[in-house]
Amino acid sequence: MTPANGTVGEKWNLRLYTAGQSPKSLAALDNLKRVCEEHLPGRYSIEVVDLLKNPRLAKDDQIVAIPTLVRKLPEPLRRIVGDLSDTERTLVGLQLRQIK
Amino acid sequence: MEPVSADFEKELALLREKLEEAEDVRRAITHGEVDAFVVGPGGSGRVLLLANAYQRYRQLVERMQQGAVTATANGHILFANQRFSDMIGVPLAQLYTAPLESYVGVSDRARLSAFLMVSARESQVEVELGRRDGSTIPVRMSLASFADGYASLLVTDMRPLQWPSMAVDALDSIRSSLEKLNQDLATEAAARGSLRNISEEINGLARMIDEMIDVEGKAKPAG
Repeated sequence: MTPANGTVGEKWNLRLYTAGQSPKSLAALDNLKRVCEEHLPGRYSIEVVDLLKNPRLAKDDQIVAIPTLVRKLPEPLRRIVGDLSDTERTLVGLQLRQIK
Repeated sequence: MEPVSADFEKELALLREKLEEAEDVRRAITHGEVDAFVVGPGGSGRVLLLANAYQRYRQLVERMQQGAVTATANGHILFANQRFSDMIGVPLAQLYTAPLESYVGVSDRARLSAFLMVSARESQVEVELGRRDGSTIPVRMSLASFADGYASLLVTDMRPLQWPSMAVDALDSIRSSLEKLNQDLATEAAARGSLRNISEEINGLARMIDEMIDVEGKAKPAG
């Protein structure tokens, strides 16, 4: 793997927008947790924002489809829409892997 | 060729970014990777779930051992689970749009109507449900949610559990039979009769326990 962004020890701040326990939301959180444990062990935090409870929070990150992952840190901000089932795409989206 | 201004390059980069984001949303939708959307002006509206996103809740509600009913403020049933249908002995298909009060004892109907009208404030009401066979069941209707003018109710059977007392009665019967056996041991023929009785009582208790286990098993949702 080629690290494309973020230095060793840098803290990753990720925010996952979900819709309650919808299947895609649960899958996204499961997939995200797996990717983070494998590629960012010990240096990431995941904030889950349930838009069914607080739909107004969608405005903050201009969310239109759910689930959506937002990488808050390291900058720049990145968004990935979907359940993160395509690991390769997730890694590229998070800039943990360069586009081949 | 004219040199490209910094502002133009910046704007171009911004447009590329927006295009990539829009493309990512389109890709996620067409690949079936999303099951909800935020709608409304400026993203400040509401969340719309696709139909399959409700499946998990539906399975939970369908398998739980409490009745579940969603009704309009004037008491028409919009949804009921199988347990509620079983409680009153009326097929599910006949419940949709039926007035909930028609399954409630006459003397409780006014209280039910009042409860549904003000269900945003009142949390529960106890009424008698009328079964199709003419019997009644005391139930507690609790407000689970009240949204868009519809009340979602949990219906709990308030009858005392029958199984424990029946099992205790069966054990008591076996105990008294054993005492009689002790007395009958003096005469062999009487003892054989007592033994047969005890054997039948134990078999009866075993069947009862089997049924209890079966009921418990059905109560547990499949994993």
